[in-house]
Amino acid sequence: MDDVAAAGREAELTRVPGPLRLGVREFAPGRPLVMAIVNRTPDSFYRPGLTWDESAALDRVHAVVAEGADILDVGGVPAKPGPEVTVAAEIRRVVPFIERVRAAYPELVISADTWRHESARAMCAAGADLINDTWSAWDPALAEVAAEFGAGLVCSHAGTLTPRTRPHRPAFDDVVADVLDRVLLLAERAQKAGVDADRIVIDPAHDFGKNTWQSLEITARLSELTATGWPVLLSASHKDFVGETLGAGIDDRLAGTLAVTAVGAWLGVRVFRAHDVRETRQALDMVASIKGDRPPVRAVRGLA
Amino acid sequence: MIVAAAICPSPPLLAAELTGQADILPELRAASAAAVTRLLASAPDLVAVAGPAEATGTRDPEGALSLSAFAPALRHGRSLVDNSKKRAEGRAAAAPLSLALGVGAMLLDEAGYAGPRAFHGIAEDEPAAVCLALGRRIAASAPRVALLAVGDGSARRSASAPGYLDERAAPFDGAVEAAVREGDLSAIAALDQALAADLLAAGRPAWQVLAGALTAPHPRTEVLYSDAPFGVAYLVATLLPLGEGA
Repeated sequence: MDDVAAAGREAELTRVPGPLRLGVREFAPGRPLVMAIVNRTPDSFYRPGLTWDESAALDRVHAVVAEGADILDVGGVPAKPGPEVTVAAEIRRVVPFIERVRAAYPELVISADTWRHESARAMCAAGADLINDTWSAWDPALAEVAAEFGAGLVCSHAGTLTPRTRPHRPAFDDVVADVLDRVLLLAERAQKAGVDADRIVIDPAHDFGKNTWQSLEITARLSELTATGWPVLLSASHKDFVGETLGAGIDDRLAGTLAVTAVGAWLGVRVFRAHDVRETRQALDMVASIKGDRPPVRAVRGLA
Repeated sequence: MIVAAAICPSPPLLAAELTGQADILPELRAASAAAVTRLLASAPDLVAVAGPAEATGTRDPEGALSLSAFAPALRHGRSLVDNSKKRAEGRAAAAPLSLALGVGAMLLDEAGYAGPRAFHGIAEDEPAAVCLALGRRIAASAPRVALLAVGDGSARRSASAPGYLDERAAPFDGAVEAAVREGDLSAIAALDQALAADLLAAGRPAWQVLAGALTAPHPRTEVLYSDAPFGVAYLVATLLPLGEGA
């Protein structure tokens, strides 16, 4: 199975695959993880304002935990351009919430979706276990914050983008090679900054600094990322490349998202950032059983 | 001579690995294990397993059930990560037996039996006379023989059964169960071969081997399980010659 999954092109193994440690949890390879999105924003691209109200956000936490989420990804600033959210405002949006979640779920892995080290520091102090830096070390001090708190770090690729900007005519000789160069460099920097290697995740960051063709190429060649041995995070949920590919509006991208999820799972991705936790978990369970990593819940057909 | 005999069915779902995470028919699994335990309590110097096979003849005593024939994911003795049960590694390379004989081997393994064993396959269309004669030969094959007859009743017990519903199936299985319960081996010997074949009752030749092997006129019998939860009749029973262990 691993041979099949890695059959794409040659990739250098830079890390022996091992357990992924996040917070007090340790996750063995072979068990895909679901990272549930909880936005503390009024204006995120998908279902804006769904969890802007704090009690609604807490209700969502209870729901996604019940649906099998392993990680909670909490963000206070949308990725898309919009009204400025200062560091102070970001902290006000997310830190009290993280404290409440941490109190309710002492062992739940909490991820801080931020690109600013001041916000990251406050979020880690409140109980976050992982810094999800989607903007690719725009603020290099994030790695030091992760090291300071013993937290994990997502090392991503965003092309040449500055945070909260949209890609404008991005072009690469080989987008996957560019992704690999960037995320492996950041992983190395993170280790030098003192981040525990068992807590580093790499993320090609679909749509970030990429057009739809480039995000599709990355999806097809995820095996080159997983072949590095670093745990890979796939964040494709309801994104524009899914919408453009299918001609599907913002509320019509679940099937496309799950197709990307299944391809990623087949190719060895370990963490799946998702809005739809139950559906994602089901898709991952199905792929795990196809791969032979998970027995069916109940097999009786033809066996009586 | 036969010191103890047992009847067990042979659905693949008796193998815990094959049914996934769920514990399917735990009462059937427990009854089969209990029957084999009683069989082994007779202190046999040979356990003979008789069951339907493609052709009549003995099989490799080291043979085993091929789990991967039913679940290719289990090939090479691999166990899925969150499967609680795992077979001993050594058995994975063993010669594959027919389903019925393989289930017999699995039940003996699970009971921890490590003594001598013999496997007797019987072609599904073997007439009663041949089955009875084979039973007599098995009885004479060692001073203390325990016989495990592995085979199923009708696979036509319900509309959702593998062979769909046949109204004759329940009376047929009922008659077999009654004969076993009463120790009426002549009724087993006289089972209608054509009807059994019609009803997909694959265990018929194995039961007739047992009828031939048990010469005691009134064995002490106990039915541990008799039901058809998935439309296939499963019968678990023990038959002990009178006086044995009394």
